[in-house]
Amino acid sequence: MAGENTASEKATEEAAKPKLGVYICSDCGIGDSLNLEELEKIASGQYKAPVCKTSAFLCNQEGVDLITSDINNEGVNRIVIAACSARVNTDAFDFDPLSYYTERVSLREQVIWTQEPNDENTQMMAEDQLRMGIVRAQKAKPPVPHIEPISRTVMVIGGGTTGINAALETARAGSEVILVEKEAELGGWARKMYRVLPERAPFEQIQESDIGDRIKEVEANDSIRVLTSAHIDKIAGEPGKYEATITAGGNTTTENLGAIIMAIGWRPYDANKLEHLGYGKFRNVVTNVEMEEMVTAAEGKVKRPSDGQTARRVAFLQCAGQRDPDHIPYCSTVCCLTSLKQALYVTESDKDAGAYIIYKDMRTPGLYENFYKAAQDNPGVMLTKGEVLNIEEDGSGNIIMEVDNTMLGEKVRIEADMLVLATGMETNMMPADRDVNDLTPEYVGKWKETETQDGIIKEVIADPVVLNLDYRQGPEMPYQSYGFPDSHFICFPYETRRTGIYAAGAVRAPMTGLQAIADASGAALKAIQCLELTSQGKAVHPRVGDQTFPEINFNTCTQCRRCTVECPFGALDEDEKGTPKTNTYRCRRCGTCMGACPQKIISFNDYTIDMIASMMKAINVPDDTEKPRFIALICENDAYPSIDIAALNRMKFSPFFRFITLRCLGGTNLVWVAESLSTGVDGIILIGCKYGDDYQCHFIKGSQMCNERLGKVQETLGRLMLEAERVKQVELAMNEWDQIPQILDDFAEEVKGFGPNPFKGF
Amino acid sequence: MADESVEKKDESAEGADAAAEQKEEAAEVTSEEAAPVAVDVPAETVTPDIGFVKDVINSGGADLKKCYQCATCSVVCNLTPDDNPFPRKEMQWAQWGLKDKLMGSPDIWLCHQCSDCVAQCPRDAKPGKVLQAVAKMTISNYSIGGVTKALGNIGGTILMAIIPIAVILIAIAVQGNFSGIPRPGGEIVYSEFMDIYRVIDPLFTIAAIFAVIMFIVGGRKYWKDMMTRYQAAGGKVPAKGFFANLGPTLSELMAHKRFRECDETKDRANAHLLVFYAFLGLALTTAWAVLYIDFLHIESPFALSNPIKWLGNISAAAGIIGITMVIIYRFVHSEKLGMGSYFDWLLILTILLILASGIGAEMLRLADLAPAAYIVYAIHLMSILFLFIYAPFSKMAHMVYRLVALVFARATGRDVGVGV
Repeated sequence: MAGENTASEKATEEAAKPKLGVYICSDCGIGDSLNLEELEKIASGQYKAPVCKTSAFLCNQEGVDLITSDINNEGVNRIVIAACSARVNTDAFDFDPLSYYTERVSLREQVIWTQEPNDENTQMMAEDQLRMGIVRAQKAKPPVPHIEPISRTVMVIGGGTTGINAALETARAGSEVILVEKEAELGGWARKMYRVLPERAPFEQIQESDIGDRIKEVEANDSIRVLTSAHIDKIAGEPGKYEATITAGGNTTTENLGAIIMAIGWRPYDANKLEHLGYGKFRNVVTNVEMEEMVTAAEGKVKRPSDGQTARRVAFLQCAGQRDPDHIPYCSTVCCLTSLKQALYVTESDKDAGAYIIYKDMRTPGLYENFYKAAQDNPGVMLTKGEVLNIEEDGSGNIIMEVDNTMLGEKVRIEADMLVLATGMETNMMPADRDVNDLTPEYVGKWKETETQDGIIKEVIADPVVLNLDYRQGPEMPYQSYGFPDSHFICFPYETRRTGIYAAGAVRAPMTGLQAIADASGAALKAIQCLELTSQGKAVHPRVGDQTFPEINFNTCTQCRRCTVECPFGALDEDEKGTPKTNTYRCRRCGTCMGACPQKIISFNDYTIDMIASMMKAINVPDDTEKPRFIALICENDAYPSIDIAALNRMKFSPFFRFITLRCLGGTNLVWVAESLSTGVDGIILIGCKYGDDYQCHFIKGSQMCNERLGKVQETLGRLMLEAERVKQVELAMNEWDQIPQILDDFAEEVKGFGPNPFKGF
Repeated sequence: MADESVEKKDESAEGADAAAEQKEEAAEVTSEEAAPVAVDVPAETVTPDIGFVKDVINSGGADLKKCYQCATCSVVCNLTPDDNPFPRKEMQWAQWGLKDKLMGSPDIWLCHQCSDCVAQCPRDAKPGKVLQAVAKMTISNYSIGGVTKALGNIGGTILMAIIPIAVILIAIAVQGNFSGIPRPGGEIVYSEFMDIYRVIDPLFTIAAIFAVIMFIVGGRKYWKDMMTRYQAAGGKVPAKGFFANLGPTLSELMAHKRFRECDETKDRANAHLLVFYAFLGLALTTAWAVLYIDFLHIESPFALSNPIKWLGNISAAAGIIGITMVIIYRFVHSEKLGMGSYFDWLLILTILLILASGIGAEMLRLADLAPAAYIVYAIHLMSILFLFIYAPFSKMAHMVYRLVALVFARATGRDVGVGV
């Protein structure tokens, strides 16, 4: 460690004296399609690069040795590699980022694979891409990582299946764990179950829960401290440096923590809202949770509540509230399995008993299809699709249901001794008095109206539930839909929008115990990974390993609060005046704050507003109206690889685009638009991720923030007497790579219609 | 649809006069009017019967519960009507143990066991096998359950076979033929071994009448149950009843058109057709023999040149070829569709035994090989008697229940949409 530090100090010194080395590769057809001598002239002539070399094969050992030798002998510390996409050969061009800045100019994918070879326009495109790459390298500084001693203790909130398994996994991996449970005992729902779903191959038989063994393991593990009857009063700080105030059994302590796993689980939907299904009205209508409790109490016998007689005809009504816009609009995924499990209780309780399951669609994800099949084979388990029209009770407490659209072929009446309503799961992220149809946007809380000089401002004041975070953004995490927390749900399930806090189990999505166990392992690994990276001053997902961080020049800060409001991760707190306060370890390095800042005072060592603006200015804009210039600001997560894939498929598009890669469109500062249009660029297209409810942005709100800012660009364009359509944002998912040529060519065509930018030539 | 009407016309043209054609068209119109209308039918209370579910499972529908109602079976079936197609709904009814619905359904017998559904079922629930099991349960439901059940296994079959064997043995004993064969060293004359007037005629007439009565009772009850269910579902009583629809149904049967709609087992239609015509031929031969012997008093055996021998021998040959084809096809399709149930095999083997022993008896007679000829003849009689007595309880009953179902389907317009 000491040696490394010295090295980085030395590197910092050297970084003050940038020395450029430009390396052009002629392989993969680059040399056959472009005039490389002209490119070399730009590097050594226009930009006076002290070192500029062309190699026939840059990514092999010989090519890499060429660069390494210049680093060692010539003192090159700004390396521009004009060859292939930044997404390939990363192992070959791997130079210490703390000492050297490496810029990749994608001549292969972004130029020759998508353009006509040896064409004047192709050559101009390559030259501009090189110019921008050189400018970027010249403006960049290697980062100086922010390293402080951190705590490596992981706090697991919630002592149910997920929490217990997360605690065990974390402890096994060598971390200290504090397991916090609000109840007096560990075990959660699993402890209340008579049987659980199959947890072993071939996933056919219900089994006894092993939660008791797991609890014993937790108790026997010296690395796990259990706090029961506990409440979290406050969590302040950032990953590696959290301070949590916890009251457990009357004692309040403050714990230093590194990361947090939130496994606070689920609760059943309030069946009192299901009166139309007979709940609360008829004695023999119960919920699946009550059924579980009854069967556990009766040691496996299924007895109906009204008279305690063995129930031989038990009806199950699936989607009791789920997939119903008035109750729980989503599928709760486990209720079909639970009903199958409870149907087996019925047939095991009495061999002549029948369980009648009435479903909308049977959904038994993954290998639980085996369980479905096995349960179906039981002669006493009867299933039909159907829509319940009416539920009544007869004099003896029997339930009579009128069911339509059944698989039986017509409207039927089904008589049963009792009815079990398969109710769904809600997340415990929601305050107890709220449900999924009663949520405020983004944060669960209450509307508050404040009178200001600009009029009445309506905002949500978030309700504290469990975390009680001491964050500017409020005490709890934002939710995506129906109260569930998330951060890029599809690709990164355990991530939340609070760095260092990972959600696992049914709190983040309805799931079975087995899924919760897998979730627990995933979240435990994420927490450990977070601490490891944090200890090295590195960013976590998605810019894993990035050692830069945003720096604010407070001299000119106007306390406008845009950065603190827009940060999707709550990384920036603010004081009473509104001055932002950075929390480096909460930051994911997306640059949204940089884009938001009207004063242009937020920057990273290798990513600044001036850098991108200078790159734009480096583009050679000819007066020739037949050669328009368009800037494409592309997100590194989806748009950049999409262009790579289009190129790999040799799709062709207009040669008048110049690509500038952004960490996220959220970093787009409006100053770029004005500055580039004033240099004569004809149009700017911004290609970013999809936003909205089904967003795909790796930084959650980056592309959305960019879009909101662009809404205000009209004014700027008006001032410049330019058409608003010259600036356009496009949403693109990676699987839509084949649309790249269409998107670019359509934009070029549309802007051409407005004629050339009148600022050309000024 | 166009093809269908053309075909229908052809069919009636075969059936000769224009009046008949008009009649049939009229019948079609009324049957369409009588088709069930799904308006305001009160909800029916379903009573799941787990015992019935277990019975179906144990009667050959072992995979019944696997069905998850995707309806692939109904889509691939070429025999089902478009409206309320089978066998998807029968699978659900059987899973829920809704015995009444299944027993009173014509669809159980509209299925010809093509096994297209068995081959295509993604869950291997074997819908065709389930319908077969339910069909067997229909036979048992409308006859005497215990007998059908006994004919479903080897032990029971042996027990049941005691009656025809004993009857023939007693008949031989009573005629004193155990001590020696008639005309030793001379010509073999079966009527001297089994007296036609005193033994054959009364014995087989009684057996036939028994079978016919059982069939009439069972068939009528089946018809009534179907009609009850049909009306409960909102169907109107068809203008033309059983007998008015019998003719066209029989004429359809003559060509086995439905049977030919099968995809997986197309070849079975020809095999069945051969056996079917062999039985018709043999029935005709028997009637002819009754005419000769009982009315014209022409003594048997008849000369090989006599047309009655031509008909009998050709029918027997057709039958033996047909039943052999049936057996071969069962083996050919076994990998995909299984070997079939014991219940089926009992009928196949009974028919094979009747035909083989019949031909054997004739050949042994012509070869003058007594006493072997008499032994084979006795076996022939025993097997025919077995078939007659147990026809209402065995797979043989399919001829009646399928006919009743086909007539019912025609009467109620249920066969609309089938490419017949």
